[in-house]
Amino acid sequence: MTDGDYRHLYVVMEQEEGKLVPVSLEMLCEARRLMDDFNIKYSSKEKVVALLLGDGVKEISKDLIEHGADVVVLVDNPELRYVRNTIYTKLIAQIVTDQDVAAKIESVDVGNFKKPRYMFFAADSVGRHLSSTVMAELDSGLASDINKLVIEDLPLTHQIKTAGKPLIYEKTLEMYRPDFSGFLWTTILCLDNRNPTIERDYHPQACSIIPGVFETKEADSSRNGKVIEYSPRFDQKDLLVKILDRKIIKSEVDFDACKTIVSFGRGIKESPEENVKLIEQLASELDAEIGISLPLSKKPISINQTIDSKYFIPDRVIGSSGRKVSPKLYIAVGISGAIQHLAGMKDSEFVLAINPDENSPIKDECDMFIKGKMEDVLPLLIESLKTQKKVVQA
Amino acid sequence: MLTPLNIAVIVKLEPDFSEGNVSYNPDGTLNRAETKNILGPHSALAASAAFYSKVRYGAHVSIGTMGPPNADLILQSAQQISDADETYLFSDRIFAGADTLGTAELLKAGIQKMQGKMDLVFSGHRASDGETGQVGPQTAWKLGFTFLGNVIDYEVDVEKRTVRAKRSIRLQGFHDIIEEVEAPLPVFIAIDPSYKSVFNTASQRLACEKYKKEANDRAQNFKQYLKVLNAEQLGADPKLIGLAGSPTIVFKVEKIPKGKAGRQAEVVDGSSKEEMGRVVARLRQALSTMVIK
Repeated sequence: MTDGDYRHLYVVMEQEEGKLVPVSLEMLCEARRLMDDFNIKYSSKEKVVALLLGDGVKEISKDLIEHGADVVVLVDNPELRYVRNTIYTKLIAQIVTDQDVAAKIESVDVGNFKKPRYMFFAADSVGRHLSSTVMAELDSGLASDINKLVIEDLPLTHQIKTAGKPLIYEKTLEMYRPDFSGFLWTTILCLDNRNPTIERDYHPQACSIIPGVFETKEADSSRNGKVIEYSPRFDQKDLLVKILDRKIIKSEVDFDACKTIVSFGRGIKESPEENVKLIEQLASELDAEIGISLPLSKKPISINQTIDSKYFIPDRVIGSSGRKVSPKLYIAVGISGAIQHLAGMKDSEFVLAINPDENSPIKDECDMFIKGKMEDVLPLLIESLKTQKKVVQA
Repeated sequence: MLTPLNIAVIVKLEPDFSEGNVSYNPDGTLNRAETKNILGPHSALAASAAFYSKVRYGAHVSIGTMGPPNADLILQSAQQISDADETYLFSDRIFAGADTLGTAELLKAGIQKMQGKMDLVFSGHRASDGETGQVGPQTAWKLGFTFLGNVIDYEVDVEKRTVRAKRSIRLQGFHDIIEEVEAPLPVFIAIDPSYKSVFNTASQRLACEKYKKEANDRAQNFKQYLKVLNAEQLGADPKLIGLAGSPTIVFKVEKIPKGKAGRQAEVVDGSSKEEMGRVVARLRQALSTMVIK
């Protein structure tokens, strides 16, 4: 492989009816930061390339450039109004391996461009599947649900990858992924096989990025960029899926309408049904909506059907794989505070946590920490709320 | 006579995350040695989606998993749910350590070894341990099947050989969408966690009972329905599976460092009634503050 084979960071944008989904700009801003550092470190001029597919989306291109894209590759076509996996996968794979597009990106001889160096997708219902199929088509590696990225030259010795020999892997993307518990960080690398018996290039190094973790910077209207319009070639067999209907769903759980949110986590486990009743009482005293932490939506606790279907559902999950909320008052009951959960609630104005363990991470994200088990604390707290209400009413 | 539907389901052995079975280390991480393994809950849903086709369309169902020899027990569980006609365990030391691409390659080979050409393949939404959700769509792509993810409901038109499905699309910081699509078979469906099969008519419920009984009988003798296949029997290219066929590696695992404390918490004794009065006063104050944004 030569250095010209794999170039640039391609970022797959998501939009709905011509409006960008927030994670798109978050990814672009992070891509800009990484490639600015990259270009300084390696004295190169590799680009951030935004891929924008849709129908009537041309207008958005400017936005993408102002948020960090050097180049926007635009495919504007009625067939692309909604994401259909097959046609989107084929088109994305076509574009990112297209030599003519690569030549236009740099306006200089690109030599033997093969594939992108890096690729980003969103870790949501759309990007999660699209990233999987695009990477299956491009035959390379994909890390999912990433919340930190670093580019390094890494010295590595690996049984399979290097046949046990020490080698330097240059310009390697370290992709950090919080695991299901929220307490461990796994760093994933996508590496070429340099073991002579199984030699193989694995590029691009790709990942999907958790929505809401990277910051969207202010638009910079002084930025210049290029828009490349791409004319798609459609094959009828890639357009077999017919979209019959699309409905926007308003969740029954409306966190935005409430000043207070009471959330609970695995801490309810000792007497789940009684504890949920206490949480309901607390929420009702405060006119609060009820949320849960992610582990509970996986139904780890056996509980009666009514409670289960009312509360242990994805709609109530607060965190990076659920809703992001910022109420006036957030009460975390029996929630230890895994990083995914904190990402969903840390913008709340006042945070009260109830937890027996003073070492749990939630303590660093709350204004008041009641040390104690919810079985003991909640009855006292509810009683106190009732008493004070009586005083106010009298 | 219509050709009966031919269905495959891919399932996975996962740690049992239910309370009482799952065991955590003091630092909050999973204690794998103490946690037992079961048929993953998303896999179980995929099996129930196949059972729906059994009841509605008399489908022929095959279930496959890649895993160690003891993973045959989850095939038994999945057979109990789906009334599978056949079960397949793809097991070989060289499969171990595969990432999603290497796993998808192997599952493709496995599905192609199952009896007959598939019309529909089901997978769960994601595994509870790996949580990537990539294996389903990647297997679909390698099979050349139309992929439909986050499916919450589906019906098959057995005559027209098409499937109609409802998908739940969630976009963080944006609205959610329910999309209804139609696609010609073959189709690969990843079942959404909120999927639930419902049998509406009396005849469906009758058929449901019949197949449930059959499923019980079959699961009791599950070894009779089981085929175990290794790499050679699957004809999988050793360069494309296992560690050799896996682009990604886990470079390191570390505890997520505690971030800078975002807030300075005041600690309150939870057993004191008086303290609780103070908390409530503070909450009332927080709720009444006007904030100009």
